[in-house]
Amino acid sequence: MKGSVIKYQKDNIDTDVILPGPYLKIHDYNELAKHAMEGLDKDFHKKVKPGDFIVAGKNFGCGSSREHAPIALSYSGIKAVLAISFARIFYRNAVDGAFLLPIEIDENAYSDISEGDLLEIDTKKNEIQNITKNKIYKIKPFPELIGKIIEAGGLFNYKP
Amino acid sequence: MSKTLFEKIWDSHLVKEENGRSLLYVDRHLVHEVTSPQAFDGLRMNKRKVRRADLTFATMDHNVPTNDRSLPIVDQTSSIQIQTLEKNCKEFGIPLFDIHSPNQGIVHVIGPELGITLPGSTIVCGDSHTSTHGAFGALAFGIGTSDVEHVLATQCIWMQKSKTFEIKIDGKRKNPHAVTAKDIILSIIKKIGTAGANGTVIEYRGETISELTMEQRMTICNMSIEAGARAGLIAPDEKTFQYLRGRRYAPQNYDEYVEYWKENLKTDSNAKFDKSFTLVADNILPQVSWGTNPAMTVDVTGNVPFPEEYANGNVEEEKAAVKALQYMDLKPGIPVTDIYIDRVFIGSCTNSRLEDLIEASKVVKGNKVSSKVRAMVVPGSQLVKKNAEELGLDRIFKDAGFEWRESGCSMCLGMNPDILAAGERCASTSNRNFEGRQGAGGRTHLVSPVMAAAAAIWGHFVDVRELDLN
Repeated sequence: MKGSVIKYQKDNIDTDVILPGPYLKIHDYNELAKHAMEGLDKDFHKKVKPGDFIVAGKNFGCGSSREHAPIALSYSGIKAVLAISFARIFYRNAVDGAFLLPIEIDENAYSDISEGDLLEIDTKKNEIQNITKNKIYKIKPFPELIGKIIEAGGLFNYKP
Repeated sequence: MSKTLFEKIWDSHLVKEENGRSLLYVDRHLVHEVTSPQAFDGLRMNKRKVRRADLTFATMDHNVPTNDRSLPIVDQTSSIQIQTLEKNCKEFGIPLFDIHSPNQGIVHVIGPELGITLPGSTIVCGDSHTSTHGAFGALAFGIGTSDVEHVLATQCIWMQKSKTFEIKIDGKRKNPHAVTAKDIILSIIKKIGTAGANGTVIEYRGETISELTMEQRMTICNMSIEAGARAGLIAPDEKTFQYLRGRRYAPQNYDEYVEYWKENLKTDSNAKFDKSFTLVADNILPQVSWGTNPAMTVDVTGNVPFPEEYANGNVEEEKAAVKALQYMDLKPGIPVTDIYIDRVFIGSCTNSRLEDLIEASKVVKGNKVSSKVRAMVVPGSQLVKKNAEELGLDRIFKDAGFEWRESGCSMCLGMNPDILAAGERCASTSNRNFEGRQGAGGRTHLVSPVMAAAAAIWGHFVDVRELDLN
């Protein structure tokens, strides 16, 4: 999976900035996507391209259980969020509907990756290749259940 | 083998386990209007039924207006979401406490109030503050909409077992009317951080916890999620059993249940936790959040911190503090008691129960809301509202100039008509001070109900230990 990076040098990016409360009443996913990240970055909708990755710090997706948060990111084109750590409900929501891959990276990769870098993620080898910088970073393997849900293509395809 | 309370509840609900993938039975599923519509759509699309409609309970709380209930709902999208829940509950046979029900209220207020929440049970809800129900020794998880659909269809949920985290709170608060459960949990989050309990289930223990009432314990467990925990738990005791006795959905042969709960719902004395933290309650002071996450909190006697002092050498934290101060429009170094506010919100699943309103009313009684402040009280449920009115609390608040409103999530989350305008500063008894949480550009200071009430009267934060609250 290849994509370029939109980077937020920030910990604790919460679900209220990923998809602010007033939009939770919207039923149409493409409409939701127009408001993704609005609480943090008003221009996100303009700059995001299909296949992009978000890179962020610790505890990404903290706060609410709203699945609208990964849905809005997914429908705006984001294929993966790379963060040092994730809040657990967001992490699960992201894979349940096969919306995007939540990938845990280390502090070095986080500080090394820049806005606009072209990355290739290989979840089989658990590594990311930074094509722009010609570097390889290790990623933390998915926990057993999450890995299986991703493999199946979402919770409803998962057969134990 | 010795087990923690969490492990006991977990093991007794395991349907299947394989390589750390666990299928858990769900005893109670609470549903509200915001995170359920797509789940019901999914059921319809796949021609599935609700497996146990009798264990599923619904109410509408997030986007209901809190003004006169005889008026139509102006916001079209809210109105549609509310009607959709009505339609879905009817189609799938789920009991619903609708906007006109005497039992309508915030889902985490009505669960315990109706005896739906029971010790030792597993509870899920499409809302992160489901952790509230842990106050009764129930293992309660917030989940997203896909999992809501999965539970509706199967009454089970796939999970990975969490690590266990013991938080011990020892000692005695000097003034428990001024230093509340809210101040205890804010003090904990301030110390361990917003990800300090990430991936764990917390068990709160110790003499301070034993002394708390059920409503105070709910405030503590409610905010477990703000430290990143999957759930928060408190072992049930006599207070728990007493609270639930005779409630509408509490079991008929209640004493038999109590026997079982007493026997089975405590952590064995030599059980091991994966992690431990101790807080001494003796010197806790009333707390006020100054920043944009619940860990950014200081004592009411303190000052708004300087970023470098707050960050203590951590570059990322320092940057976050600079940004937070900018958003909050606060100058570092100013005393917390010099922060003037525009709005006061007493409500939310954290602090909208009868006791919260009683305590706040003690501050308010005989006083007037500052002319510069708009203040509202939003009882957590219709039952809380009724009980409060029987005690005359509505009159105390209204005489002082507070708005006394209908039950709902209200100004906690900015998705109904109760919102902050950009730039407005609010003393709020809710749980999140994230940017834009209470309305785009709104500034939230998290406090206890007594602190919020006092801020309404004086127009700025005051140390409530100086007031007569007995």
